[in-house]
Amino acid sequence: MRHVIEHRPSYSLLSLFMDTGDQVLSDSGAMAWMSGPLEVKTSTRGGVLQGLKRKLLAGESFFQNEYTAAGDGCELALAPGSAGDMVEYPMNGEELFLERGAFLASTGSVVCDSKWGGLKGLFNEGLFILRCSGTGILFFHAYGDIQCVDVDGEYVIDNGYAVAWEPSLDYRLTRARKIRSFLFGDQLLLRFSGRGRVWVQSRSPQSLANFVHPFRRVRRSNNG
Amino acid sequence: MDITLQPNGAFHSALVHLAPGDLFKSDSGAMFRASSNVDNDVTTISRGGGLLAGLKRLAGGDTFFLSTFQTTDGRAGEVGVAPTLQGHLEQVDVQADQPWLCAGGSFLGCDGHMDLTPRFQGLKGFFSGENLFFMEVSGTGPLLVGAYGSISEVLVDGELIVDTGHVVAFESSLSYTLSKTGGSWLTSFLAGEGFVLHFAGQGRLLVQSHNPREFGALLGRRLPPRRQ
Repeated sequence: MRHVIEHRPSYSLLSLFMDTGDQVLSDSGAMAWMSGPLEVKTSTRGGVLQGLKRKLLAGESFFQNEYTAAGDGCELALAPGSAGDMVEYPMNGEELFLERGAFLASTGSVVCDSKWGGLKGLFNEGLFILRCSGTGILFFHAYGDIQCVDVDGEYVIDNGYAVAWEPSLDYRLTRARKIRSFLFGDQLLLRFSGRGRVWVQSRSPQSLANFVHPFRRVRRSNNG
Repeated sequence: MDITLQPNGAFHSALVHLAPGDLFKSDSGAMFRASSNVDNDVTTISRGGGLLAGLKRLAGGDTFFLSTFQTTDGRAGEVGVAPTLQGHLEQVDVQADQPWLCAGGSFLGCDGHMDLTPRFQGLKGFFSGENLFFMEVSGTGPLLVGAYGSISEVLVDGELIVDTGHVVAFESSLSYTLSKTGGSWLTSFLAGEGFVLHFAGQGRLLVQSHNPREFGALLGRRLPPRRQ
């Protein structure tokens, strides 16, 4: 199977060229276009309970689509829900943690499972994160540019900007010091420690939503 | 202080390298990554009280909160900053004899030893829901501005009219007056026209290709109403 990520880093799109027997697992809404004899199986990978867990707890689609090439020369194009960068991450039995919503697709035996992020993740994008493991290639994406940081010691990332990190890193949620915190909603920071890599996105969907919010009309009625 | 612009595609960001003793000030929401030895002290900017700042927050403009970053352990550190909207960044090297004025929504950060003076444009601005707040940046050092879209530099010599939503920053040698685009106040309001700045004199002006207010209105009117 051959693949190419086009139009990085602003409008990344993943194209996969599949021959007989090749398999790809993707986020259910990601298919943009496809050609050739591709069989699509919508699955709740790991069973209904796993699927429900992903949907309810980690915000991932309940269903993941499994694409299998029934012949040679198939093409599958997968697009993330927002403009932004994409990372291809080859895995060989190790694990990687993903922020919810960052998963796009995987090949080989790579699967994603919801993991309780612990109370330390209480104010993060979700209570749960995705734990990806297996052998193959994992593709993840984010709104904005994606930057890889080599952490050796400690590193601080604003809440909502961490995309993925290696399990060798521990993290905890902290407040920025000397903050008049009652004035803000977004002064929580993720403090990563240990040795490993963390991927950061340069824009936040939440900040964009906050920007747009004041432009909404104001409801007039008193009982609304 | 050394600043590396990361001009990647449509989403620019900047990485500020802090040596011991360096200070960097930024809009408080701009930081998205930092080394752990960097301290973040937040202060507010308002003119003689919190009322204006509070109004501005409601109007959805800038927070008026400044973060001051410095390293705490005598070693070098780094801070990554980025604006909210998709767009480009530019670094302006401000000279002591030529302060710059930066639109509130475009100000991303500057050397912390420089002076920041807020310039409010009076009540007119609130009627239009316009972001009429400029940060005057004076001293010597780098100023980071962020745009919605791309940034162009215009060399003003004489007069120029720019919609307030497209102004990023300009040299203070330029004089400016605020006005509506034409016609009566009522027609201006009904037509949804923005306010414009009449620039006069000689100096550099940075403009952005897209207007954040227009973008906000575009999305805002398609969303269900919010509560007060």
